[in-house]
Amino acid sequence: MTNGTNAPTALTRRDTLRLASLFAASTLAGDLIGGTAAHAATAGTLVVAAPGTPQSLDNEFDGSLGTIDAIGQLYDSLVAYKKIPDPKVPDVLREDIVDDPSLPGAAHLEGRLAESWEVAPDGMMLRLRLRKGVKSNWGNELTAEDVKWTWDRKFALNAIGGFQVGLMDLASPDAVKVEDRYTVSFHPTHPNPIMLKIQTHRYANIFDSTKCKEMATAEDPWARKFLESNSAGFGPYSLKSLVRGQQAVFTARPDYYLGKPAIDTIIYKEVPTSATRTALLQGGAVDIAQALQPLEIKQLGKAPGVTIETVDASSMMWIILNAKVAPFDKPAVRQAMNYAFPRDAVIASVFQNIASPLKGCMPSIYPGYSDAFDQYSLDLDKAKALLAEAGLPDGFKVEIAYNAGDPVQEPIALLFQTSLRKIGVELVLRKVPAGTYFNEVSAKKLPMLFFVDAPWTADPVFALRLYFYSNSFVDYSNYANPKVDEMIEAGSQMTDLAKRTELMLEIQKIVMADAPWVFVASPNFTMARRDKVAGFTYYTSNSINFADFSVKA
Amino acid sequence: MTAVPTSKGAGPFAGVALSSRQGGAGLARQLQALAAILRWRPLFALGYVIVIGVAACAILAPWLAPYDPVTANPEAYLQPPSWQHWLGTDNTGMDIFSRILYAPRTDLTIALLGTGVSALIGIPLGAVVGYYEQRSRLRAAFSVTVMRSADVLQAFPVFVFAIALVAVFGQGIVSVVIAIAFVNIPIYLRLMRSQVLSIRGMRYVDAAFVAGASDFAILSRHILPNAVGAALAQLSINIGWSVLLTAGLSFVGAGVVAPTPEWGSMIATGFQNVTTGQWWPSVVPGIALGITVFGFALVGSSLEILADPAQMRLAVRRREAR
Repeated sequence: MTNGTNAPTALTRRDTLRLASLFAASTLAGDLIGGTAAHAATAGTLVVAAPGTPQSLDNEFDGSLGTIDAIGQLYDSLVAYKKIPDPKVPDVLREDIVDDPSLPGAAHLEGRLAESWEVAPDGMMLRLRLRKGVKSNWGNELTAEDVKWTWDRKFALNAIGGFQVGLMDLASPDAVKVEDRYTVSFHPTHPNPIMLKIQTHRYANIFDSTKCKEMATAEDPWARKFLESNSAGFGPYSLKSLVRGQQAVFTARPDYYLGKPAIDTIIYKEVPTSATRTALLQGGAVDIAQALQPLEIKQLGKAPGVTIETVDASSMMWIILNAKVAPFDKPAVRQAMNYAFPRDAVIASVFQNIASPLKGCMPSIYPGYSDAFDQYSLDLDKAKALLAEAGLPDGFKVEIAYNAGDPVQEPIALLFQTSLRKIGVELVLRKVPAGTYFNEVSAKKLPMLFFVDAPWTADPVFALRLYFYSNSFVDYSNYANPKVDEMIEAGSQMTDLAKRTELMLEIQKIVMADAPWVFVASPNFTMARRDKVAGFTYYTSNSINFADFSVKA
Repeated sequence: MTAVPTSKGAGPFAGVALSSRQGGAGLARQLQALAAILRWRPLFALGYVIVIGVAACAILAPWLAPYDPVTANPEAYLQPPSWQHWLGTDNTGMDIFSRILYAPRTDLTIALLGTGVSALIGIPLGAVVGYYEQRSRLRAAFSVTVMRSADVLQAFPVFVFAIALVAVFGQGIVSVVIAIAFVNIPIYLRLMRSQVLSIRGMRYVDAAFVAGASDFAILSRHILPNAVGAALAQLSINIGWSVLLTAGLSFVGAGVVAPTPEWGSMIATGFQNVTTGQWWPSVVPGIALGITVFGFALVGSSLEILADPAQMRLAVRRREAR
């Protein structure tokens, strides 16, 4: 056969391999970049790579990240915290959650759906006057009836909203009163110092009751079916489409009462793997990548065109020590577990220092927090002595459950296992699928489990009541200390801020000594974005508001 | 009773199994044939080297490994290969070289046990099914029931079926062994059934029957030894495949419990770091796994040739021609 240019040539094995490599490379690039590049980077569009799309748009029944993010765009609350520059990262804004006794509710708030508010000096009443002329995405005007219907729904469905009703200390739906078309008031059973703060909660959003009543049926009087996949709110965006498992598209509302948001369209894409989200951001296919792993954040920090902003957050990671399961029914054993935990090494290695050691039993950024009661640096001798004191000089064997969906938990458990082995404790790891992990936590049966959570309302009583009040569902450690219960109950009704803070410090001191958790870390909230995206604001709900962002041309 | 010699149609181990009188000469003949095959296809020798090497690693790991394979060291977090850590460290600072050496202990134990159990159940069951097929009603019904049950078992994708079994029995080595045994049983069952179907009509079986031997005696003394060769040759291939299945189960989190050194779980732990530039925690165990499976596949292929008298004769003839 000649080598003439027109002569047909056989496809050699090498040619085939080359072609295959080219095909594979182009397919991968198409998946990672080309597939979504058409959406990204167009003016007025923001593409967010998230671990999951919203499963439900009804905040009464879903607390996943996709839902939390969506609620913030589709709905608005009555009040919100004022924003200030982050003290460590001045380009980032965050809520001003410092208590100020001179202000109503002791909080630096600004109006959202409410334009003014007043709190009775005895803490027995909160009155809010609504803005006039605020329209929902269905064109209905906001009235006090909307607020009333929203809280009536919480009473009726008694799910997440039921928890808020409890925090507001409202005895019945009658405790929420419509005073006139634009005025509504709350009347708790006991003095309540955090009534106003609870209105800033991400899930204290107000529904358009006119639309919801229209969509309600006799079998479904609270429009559950409608609100699961649709919205009826007063937020800055409306839902254009939602394909679960793929993407949600939000469109800016030109009639939003605070002005149309800077970005017209938000494409909220489901990208389950954090490595893929990293690659998409690095390649410019998305503008924001959420929930990345520490090493990925480090890597993106060096990538051109990408900006990383990481701030102190309300999120906490701890290991539940079940106080009803031996040997964790003994405080000395729980303390020993803390003394054996290599906390600083975990922060430096697994978290790559994008977290701080958890030195308290509530978020370090919240008012009333103190790390003065932290006593748990790595001290194996002390841990061994405490075990001996508890009658376990030879150690014991125990199982720890961890979430298969959180890649940092297994390495932390393995580091802990090595450390515990030195004091005779055999730690057996049990991987639990992400889908069923919360069931294990809420069952409160296992001796040790990892848990990550954040109390969204920036208040010490709120935070401590959640995790350490023996009647709280969220007391996953089965921790019960009558003195702590008594103090939490007293603090819940205490309107004197100074006395309340003093009481909360006392609770923190007792809880830290009782050690119902292994205090692990306070992971930062990290925004990984393209350079052209500006406006990141941190919220204690550890979610983002699209209306904060703008895209540079 | 002594069996009628039938070596022409029997597998490579038939001579060994037939009787002690023939055993020594038979084994020598098999070894000679094996040597001929290895000379004919030198790549097969590599298979034996790999398998022996992996087995040696499993046995000698405590003396060869420089570090404890399950001790985390945060100070050595994700270190690249160096003189201190030849193959680097993972995201808990565990030494990958040490874990690679220890891993065959888990992988081979699971694979050998799983395959062994499946062979121990599948081979006799397959023999009985083949022997009773198309006999009297009750016996035939038994055969049909067993074969249709095997059909049902094999209708499920192997991996999904194994995950379901692990989900039922819980995560751990025993569960993986059970899963592997379960999914492999139909393979031996079918293999033995087909062998027995071809052997049961032979004259020496008829002779044994006429002589008044019981079904058990006919099966165990005359049919099974002559039919088992192909199944034994299948063992090596299955062991390699079982190592792969074990690794696959561990990769999806249904295998061994962390931090047990096991190639699949090592790959699973390390694969997330590939995108951030730390390739060694997953690539190195991946290579080890690949080499091991390749080795068992080569050994299996050589045994297949050994089990095929035509190919074996060809190999011997080629050697003699040289």
